Parts: sequence; C-alpha cells; structure tokens
Amino acid sequence: MDAKTDEPIPYAAVKVNGTAKFTSTDAEGNFTIDGLCSKSNTLFISSIGYADLTQDHENDSNATFYLIQKITGLEEVTVEAERLKEVGTESISQVVLDQAEIKSIPTQSLGSALSSVQGVTFASVGNNIQLPIIHGLSGNRIIVLNNGLKHGFQNWGEEHAPEIDITSASRITLIKGATGVRYGSEALGGAILVESTALDLNTPFYTDLGVSGETNGQGFNTNLELGSGSENWSYYLNGSFTQIGDRTAPDYNLTNSGKEETALGAGLLHHHKNWDVSVRYSFLDQNLAILRTSFLTSPEAFIRSINADEPVIIDPLSRDIREPNQVTQHHLAKAQVDWRYSDAGKLTFIGGFQLNKRQEFDVRRNADLPIVDLDLVTNDYQLEWTHPSWNGLKGLLGIQYFSQNNDNNPGTLNSPIVPNYNIERFSTFIVEKMEKDRNTFEAGLRLDFESNNVRGREPNNDLFRDEFSFTNLTASVGYVREFTDGSFRTNLGTAWRTANPFELFSFGQNRWRLIYGLLRYEENNGEISTDNVARFDESEVQPERGYKFINEFRINKNDNEHVLTVYSNYIENYIFDRPINVTTTVRGPSLAFIFDQADALFLGADYNWRTRWTTSISTDLGLSYLWTRNIGDDEPLINQPPISTSLSIQWDQGTFLGLSSSIVKLRSSYTFEQFQAPRTIPIQAIVDGSETVTLDSEIFDVLDPPEGYFLLDLSWSFGFKNLSGSIAVQNVLNTSYRSYLNDLRYFADEPGRNLILSLNYQFKPRKTND
Amino acid sequence: MKAIETLKNLRFLTLLFAAILVVSCSDDDDNPPEENIPEVFTDVTLVFTPTGGGTTVRATAEDPDGEGIADLMVNDEITLAANTTYTLTLEILNDLPDPDEDIGDEIAEEDDEHQFFFAFTDGAFSDPTGDGNIGASNAADPINYMDEDSDAQDGSGNPVGLVTEWTTGDAQSGASFTINLQHQPDVKTATSTSEDGDTDFDLTFVLNIE
Repeated sequence: MDAKTDEPIPYAAVKVNGTAKFTSTDAEGNFTIDGLCSKSNTLFISSIGYADLTQDHENDSNATFYLIQKITGLEEVTVEAERLKEVGTESISQVVLDQAEIKSIPTQSLGSALSSVQGVTFASVGNNIQLPIIHGLSGNRIIVLNNGLKHGFQNWGEEHAPEIDITSASRITLIKGATGVRYGSEALGGAILVESTALDLNTPFYTDLGVSGETNGQGFNTNLELGSGSENWSYYLNGSFTQIGDRTAPDYNLTNSGKEETALGAGLLHHHKNWDVSVRYSFLDQNLAILRTSFLTSPEAFIRSINADEPVIIDPLSRDIREPNQVTQHHLAKAQVDWRYSDAGKLTFIGGFQLNKRQEFDVRRNADLPIVDLDLVTNDYQLEWTHPSWNGLKGLLGIQYFSQNNDNNPGTLNSPIVPNYNIERFSTFIVEKMEKDRNTFEAGLRLDFESNNVRGREPNNDLFRDEFSFTNLTASVGYVREFTDGSFRTNLGTAWRTANPFELFSFGQNRWRLIYGLLRYEENNGEISTDNVARFDESEVQPERGYKFINEFRINKNDNEHVLTVYSNYIENYIFDRPINVTTTVRGPSLAFIFDQADALFLGADYNWRTRWTTSISTDLGLSYLWTRNIGDDEPLINQPPISTSLSIQWDQGTFLGLSSSIVKLRSSYTFEQFQAPRTIPIQAIVDGSETVTLDSEIFDVLDPPEGYFLLDLSWSFGFKNLSGSIAVQNVLNTSYRSYLNDLRYFADEPGRNLILSLNYQFKPRKTND
Repeated sequence: MKAIETLKNLRFLTLLFAAILVVSCSDDDDNPPEENIPEVFTDVTLVFTPTGGGTTVRATAEDPDGEGIADLMVNDEITLAANTTYTLTLEILNDLPDPDEDIGDEIAEEDDEHQFFFAFTDGAFSDPTGDGNIGASNAADPINYMDEDSDAQDGSGNPVGLVTEWTTGDAQSGASFTINLQHQPDVKTATSTSEDGDTDFDLTFVLNIE
C-alpha cells in the first residue's frame, strides 16, 4: 500500500531475498508466494515511483506492506501532485515542488521558490523578507505547515516571513484553495506544506553535500545531510549555512541588503510492528539586513527619497549587516506517533513545540538595543483518526489544541509594537470522501474555539488589557471527476481569521510610516483620533470570513497538458492597511496609515500549457490574472499582485557528452503594471494642502505603481555519476525594475544580474535508480 | 486478545494527549515591561538668553500625543529685541512618561551623531548673516556654533548646536526661524548637511524682532 494515501499499489514486484521466488501484486495490491522453505523470509518489494522496501515477514500472516513514494525528478512533479493529495484537499488545485527544484537556488527564500507557480507570487520588504502570496492573499491568510505543525512565528506585517530553511525541505506542496477545515481556519488563501527529509526505512547510509556560490551579493551556501535507515530505525541529520553580502541593482549598490542564515535539523524514526514513532527538531538562525535607505525616519527625507531616482543612501559594498536588521531564532521540536491498529485504521498523535525569538534593530539613537524584542512560544497537539472505510466513506477525524504565548522582553527603550498576548484554540474537524467510479466527493467541517488575552502598554507606559473569544464553524465541499485525458476538480471552502495583534494594536512609527491598528483609532466628526485604546468587544472589528470557490480543469493529451484554475474569493471584513493622511510631528509631516476593514472580492485565473514539441524540447506557458475590488466601498484594493505571464523553453538533452542528464532552461516573464492600483496623490500635495484627504476619501497611494517589466532567466542543470549541479543566471538582461509588491519599491530597484553555481554530491547513492 | 491490546493502546494515547493538554494550559498573563522611551520627542523649547543680561525669551512647540495622529502645536512666536546678542539653548523632553524624559542629555552624550541646522529670513540677524545652513549646498553657511563634538570621526571637533549665539538685526515682524536636528550616526562629518541622516525634529517658528 501507499504509505501516504493508503491506496493499494497494483503490479508491484515482490521478491524473496536469497531465493529465486518472485511475484507481483494484483490490481488490488494483493500477492501470495507459495513453496517457501524457511518460516521467516525477507521480502524485497519494488514499484515504479516508490522507494524499494526490504522487510522481514513471517509465513502465513496477512501483513500489509507500505511503500513510500520516491521523488525522481522534474517530470514527475504533476504525477506526484495527483498522488499525494491529503484527504480533505483532493478537490483543490495544488502543486508540488521537489528537492531538485528547491535546491537549484539554495539561497532563495520560501516565497521566491514558490513564485514559479502560476497564481503565486510574494510580497517583500527587500530581498530577504519574502512572504508567499496565493491568489492575492498573504501573511496569516496562508497557513505554512512546517513538518505538519503550523509554523509559529511573528506572522504580522509585511516585514515578517516564515523562518524556514528551504535547503532542508525535501518537498513543498502548495494548495491554492481554502484549506481551513484540514489545516487551520485562517487558511483563506491556501496552504504551504513544507516537509523535511522523509524518514525512510531500509535506506543505506548516505551523505549529501551541497555548495553554491552567487555573484550578486557574493553569496554562498553550503549544506550537508546524512542519514540511514535500517529495518526498524531511520534517522537524518542536516545543516546549512548561507551568507550573502550587499546586493547590487543594475545602477547602484543596495546598501545593507545581505543576510546570514544557519540551519540545523535532525529526525529519528522507530518502527515497531504497526507503530511508528518519530521525532524531529529543526533550528534556524537568521540575520536579515533591510535596505538602509528605507529607514529614513524623517518624513522630509522620505519625500526626498521617493522623488529621487536613486536611493538617498548608497555606500560601498559590504558583507556587514547593520541596522536596520532582524535577528531571529526559530526552534521547532515535534513528536509523532502513528499507530496502524488495523489494515485501514490509523491513529496519529502529533505534539509540537516552537520557540521563536525575534529582535529587530532600527537606525536610531540606541541602535545597539533592539527596538522589538519578542519571544513567542507555540504549543500544538493534534490527535487524528484515519478511520477504516465505512459505507464507502473514507476520512479523518481530528482534535487539536493550539496555544501561543507572546512576551516582550525588557530593554528596548520603546513602547511595544505588539502587546503581550496568549491565544488558545481548541479545534475539532472531520473530513470525509467517497469515491464512486471516476467521481470523488469530499466534505469537511471544523469547529474552532479561540480565546485571546492581551496586555499592552501605551506610549506613556499606561497598561491596557483585553480579552476576547470566538467560536466559529468552517466548512468545505469538493468534487473531483477523472476523465481519460484529464480531470476536473471543484471546491468551495470557507475560512475565518481574527485580526492579528499588529492589525489591532499597532501604534506609531513602523519603518517609514506611522500606523494605527484597528483598535487604536476612532472617528470623531470625520477626524481621526488616536487617544484611546478601544476594547475589542465594544469595537466594530469583526473577524474576516472568506468563501473561496476554486475550479481546476486539467487536460493531458498528445504531449499537451493544459491546466486552468479559475477562482473567486469573497472576503467579508477583509483587513488591510492603507495611507490615510499626513500628520505633522516634531519630525515634520509624516505619512500615516490605518488598518481598515471592507468586503472584498477576488476573481482570478491561472493557466498553464505544457507541451512537448520533440522528445527533448518542451515549453511551458503560464498566465496569472487577478481582479480585486473593495466592493463594500466600491474602490480598488492596494498592494494586489499585477497580471504576470511566463514562457519557459526546456531542452532536455538526456545523456549528453558523458553526462547522465543535461537540461537547459530559458524562462522569460513579463509582469504588467498594476492597473488596478489606487489613485496617486503625491505626498507633497497633501503637505501643501492642494489635496485634502479625510477618512471617507477614496483610497490612495503616494507613488504610481511601477511600470511593467520583462525578465529573462537561464539555467543549465546536469548530472554526472554522483554529482549534480546547475548554473543559473537570474535577470540575464540586467534589467532595472521595481516590483509593486515590494514595500521598498518607494526607494530602490530590484537586484540586477546574478550568476549562481550550485553543486550537489552524494557520497553514497541514496537509492539506486530502476 | 488483539482487541484488548488495541484498547490499551488507545487508552495510552488518550492519556498522553490529556496529560499534555493539562501541562500546556498553564496560565501566563505577564504584562509587557515598562520602558523608558528616549526616542520620542514631544516638547521642544527654544531658550534665548541675552548675553548682556535681560529677559529670557522662550518659545515651545509640542506634540502632546507623540506618535499619535494629532498634529504638532507651535505654541509661541519668538519675539527678540533688535540689535541684541542672545545665546540659544534648548530643552528637549518626552512628556509622555511620568516623570518627563530629558532628551537633551541623550543628545549631548551622542554629540558626534547629531547636528542642529538653522534657517531664517534673510537679514533677520546681523550675525550670522545670510539665511542659515539648511539645504544640501548650504552646510558651510555661517552659524555661530558655540560647541563641538567630543569624538569627531574626521579628527577635529565638528559643530553640534546645543549652544549657539545670535545677534539680531533691525526690527521686523513675521519673519521665520527654523531649527532642524539631524541624527547622523556614522554620517556626520565636517561637510555633512541637513539632508544627511535622519531628522529628529524640524520646527518652524514665527520670528519677530522689535
């Protein structure tokens, strides 16, 4: 059986070690071998797409053997995606990135690695902090599951990206629909499942060593993994180190844009009869620089900066990381017990602990002290029951307990930007599916009870406290129809999310702007006042409620694959931040932002056409379109992804000049100007009074969205015996451009050309290829 | 037999889950620590003291809610006597915490990272002459700085501006006087200007000379 899906594997080869006896499984995955001499034998089972299994077996017993899926290369990406879907998400469009894709650029962020997928892009603050956006939604509207645990980090604002080292990931699954029922109710936009190395049994000892270097930023990465699996035990250890200095845009240095990252990970599995017990630990230490020129605390310098063609501060290239920067450490420990108490029933217990320590440094009088210093402890417990098929229903029942405790550490000389808070959540869910011929029906329900306890301080050190709680129901229904040459899947899912502490309580200076949370401002006769902290229950703040309807049409015929995903997402009380006015401070006129809520509609489509022209030449055309609108106020939304297209040409030379594989890929992409951006009011016009804005004025931005841009990337990847590697050039044409989704678009261009060389060596082949 | 074992295992898992729930549900409602906040300026007072004795002139600007959205208030006009020499000193406070935080001391300690710049109506003063040294190309224009920093990066003391000297010209009303404090860590040199570094404050007062 397939270890993940519990589906039988037909026509797998079964051989008795030390004898010439062999057979294969039938269409239901059953097999029998007769005429064996010894009572106990070792069976060797193999099937294409799965890792080989060698396991002891007593005669005459009815045992189930589980094979683990193997990842072999780019070609199988879509096949993997079809096969690996978890119960409750089968009817949702999803994409899997495998290790080869992830590791081709080992220094990239999770957001950047995923952005090759249609409908996915990233919001960023510079080159180090990149948050994935799925269909226009990012931040904590997307669940990032790190080895099955919701990644517990400071998930607020655009300046906090999940602290995940992608070189230790063996697979990343991206689910484009509202997966709230299965993974957590706030997944309005989708989910990202990051899995580290699989703990496979019966794997000979292996060591993988990777190194890479890149020209832009003179960065390098080195990563190492070793592991082994015996009959009952399996383990791995891995580590990675990355350092990048200041990057350069085509016309100037991007002063203070480097990063340093150290990652460690380990896993251990014990297999005993029908029990699997595994523990995993991972650690990530990051020091991320933020572009110096973006932290001009003076509004006057900000105005000067956004009007200038070049950043106001450009220094010689350096590898030092100075303020402004973010230093985070993330620890994740997880224990999992799987108990297959019968052939089709399984109980899974997961316990997780995460500690996230974050310090942020600003350019300021006491720059050596962090201005933000937070410890976030996350505990996560899940008990899931995969029940045996019951009247044709297959499914999963689960209960979860999730808690977070955020504490501000003393010594920042600043009033805390987010309060201390405790969140506790009890959840229970059920997902069921029924298969009939080529039809699969799915449905799921989830009930969450969440309580929040908040303690904050105002700038004058006065305390404020608040408590609030929610009970919510989330539901999803889906349907899949398989055809000979394709499939159709459709899913309607709801999700809800409460405003995060930053959206509720932020007050004052945040990077280059002033910002006020939903509970920190009120309207008095058309004027905004920020004198009081409102109580949640007395305020008009409502949780976000999303209804996402997503459909995928897939046709696979005559070397052509078309995938069209069409979706709509209606979000009640959508929370977003927007410029609201200019306020005069002792520093001069400053741009003020508020968090606001409105009913929003997202309509979009992603299209992919892959075709094979000859045995070695194939192309991949992609298009993403998203239309968004604040339909409550009938005005545009801000910071939404523009239309993008891409065309890749791949030349797979197969074995070539003694190489075991050689693939050349040229990717061109064009990102349009965001034509749905709000109107532009230059900040000077507000300062000098030629434009007056109030709370009721139409939404505006202070700079036009950047123009569209064309980018070209080129890569060559190869394999030679135990060595694999790639040479990639990003931004081949050294184009100067700015991304609308980069918060630093006001200040500087994106990096220019980058040449990346990466090599991976397996000291002992992990698995022999069939 | 198998059923009993199954039941036992199930009970074990349930107990484990319950035990962990109990352990992790511990209450913690710490308050955030109380911080001194020297980063926020709310009150800036200009104190003009006649060098030859006489009435001290004070002018204050305040932003009572600090980083809140309420606008800055300039409370006073500066009214000086004609043809008189004054020493200008400053009182810089954060009024939000109790007691107030004196930020002038902090600036004095980090004088190698700070410089005050001034702009005024041309001719308002007989010394310094001109219209001040604010602007990218005006840094060398005359201002009578009476102090210099203690740890200058280019080897010689650079002006700070916590103490300056001013001799008024002839009587006029409705002139303007701007004072701008720049925070210039690793940036301040003999030639750095009011457009280098970050602005700590930038205040404009009405200046009357009678």
